[in-house]
Amino acid sequence: MEQLKLTIALILAVVLQWTLRNVAEPFMFVDFPLIIVVYAALQRNSIRAILYGTFAGISVDALSGGLLGANGFTKTLIAYAVSEIARRVYMDNLLLRIPVIAGACLVSEAVYFGIHRIFGVESSADPVTTISYTLIGTTIAGTIIYISLDRLFTEKRTARKSEMFKTRRQSRRRNPIRLGK
Amino acid sequence: MVERSQKEVWRLTPWLVIALLLGNFILMAFSAKDITSGQRIIRVWGLTVADFVQSPVTSITSSVSNYFGSIATLRTAQDENGVLKQRVQELEVELKGKEELTAENDRLKSLLNLKETNKYKVLPARIIGRDPSAWFDSSVINRGSLDGVKLNMPVVTDGGLVGRVTAVSPLTAQVDLITRDKSGVGGVIGEIGSSTALGVVSGTSKKDLLEMRYVPGSTNVQVGQSVFTTGQDGIFPAGLKIGDIVNVGGGSASEALQILVQPAARLNSMQEVAVLLYEPPQRPDFEQRLPNAGKDTKKK
Repeated sequence: MEQLKLTIALILAVVLQWTLRNVAEPFMFVDFPLIIVVYAALQRNSIRAILYGTFAGISVDALSGGLLGANGFTKTLIAYAVSEIARRVYMDNLLLRIPVIAGACLVSEAVYFGIHRIFGVESSADPVTTISYTLIGTTIAGTIIYISLDRLFTEKRTARKSEMFKTRRQSRRRNPIRLGK
Repeated sequence: MVERSQKEVWRLTPWLVIALLLGNFILMAFSAKDITSGQRIIRVWGLTVADFVQSPVTSITSSVSNYFGSIATLRTAQDENGVLKQRVQELEVELKGKEELTAENDRLKSLLNLKETNKYKVLPARIIGRDPSAWFDSSVINRGSLDGVKLNMPVVTDGGLVGRVTAVSPLTAQVDLITRDKSGVGGVIGEIGSSTALGVVSGTSKKDLLEMRYVPGSTNVQVGQSVFTTGQDGIFPAGLKIGDIVNVGGGSASEALQILVQPAARLNSMQEVAVLLYEPPQRPDFEQRLPNAGKDTKKK
């Protein structure tokens, strides 16, 4: 069920990315698929996150004037990097996720720009301005979306939390001082 | 479904990442090879699928904004109504005079046996999508191969040249703007017959600004002059307005002028465009046999 919800969220993110710029220009500075890809990567299911990254990236590339596969490349890379970090560090706290999405956005935009430079394709956008605005837009939108997604996946999170703290509680019960009492 | 242990997943993941990155890299390499001339099948599929989403969204948002816009303008409508009624009366008088002139014109034309002919067929189109990436500025229009749109056809507005078609699906097409760095349009300053100031107009790193290259430094060029297409690039027909010169710099006997041109079409705010169903004339045989003939066409 969680997988289905996340897949729907990803498809919705791609659709929003396709359409929202035509509705209002500032939406071009929000990378909706990246937000969902990072969220999926934070769920510690690396294979799913990587596949999501490739799918979302190529879907965006299909309608973009940039190189086909450039977004696919960056999002796959980001999904892998974030899932590897999430495997080692506990990041279910929203406050910890904000720097993660900001960092992911920064790296993603820098890699995307770099790839185009390597292949000799120059964009008409100013790199510093575009990266800065995208960083701000994606971080704000990401925070709001993560709050909403967390509510959607509350059951799973609660279960995982209790699982994680279970061992700690057991060790306290085994405290010899308490046992002595 | 096969259940994999966590260790197996961790072992498998890097290989999957490498395979996917390699796949994307190959796609990019092919895409970079002919970014301005060829079209990839994934792009055509993407355009086709996106049309089912983009067209309804554009229709809904434009009707909603029109509705609110009409409410906002309703307040001033009454005052305007009075002014317009008076203007209508004035125009009716003017129209009667024009009708007489048109009838006279028709009579004279038939006498001279002249025929009014349209140079190119024009296909009106609506912009239903913009580039999903903040780095590029391509647009998606609601006309595709079923309407007769083909690759490289020029796209214009009433203001001037917009760009050319770079990908075509049955229902939609992707348009690359002339401001893109890889674009190149043969341009002439002033009238094509009388001017010798020929050059290539291409995109710059700045939005809304074009650069005209290879104009000899000895040519007299003034700010405010208009630049038109020459029709010699094998893509765009002659006589389309590209823009107006906003800055002229450099230039000597051995150095070309540095000319900046502002596009005539309002590229940021356009909603309606037109596709010119124009196909460039076939090149002569000897030109096609030249070693760089194919490459030249692709670079444009």
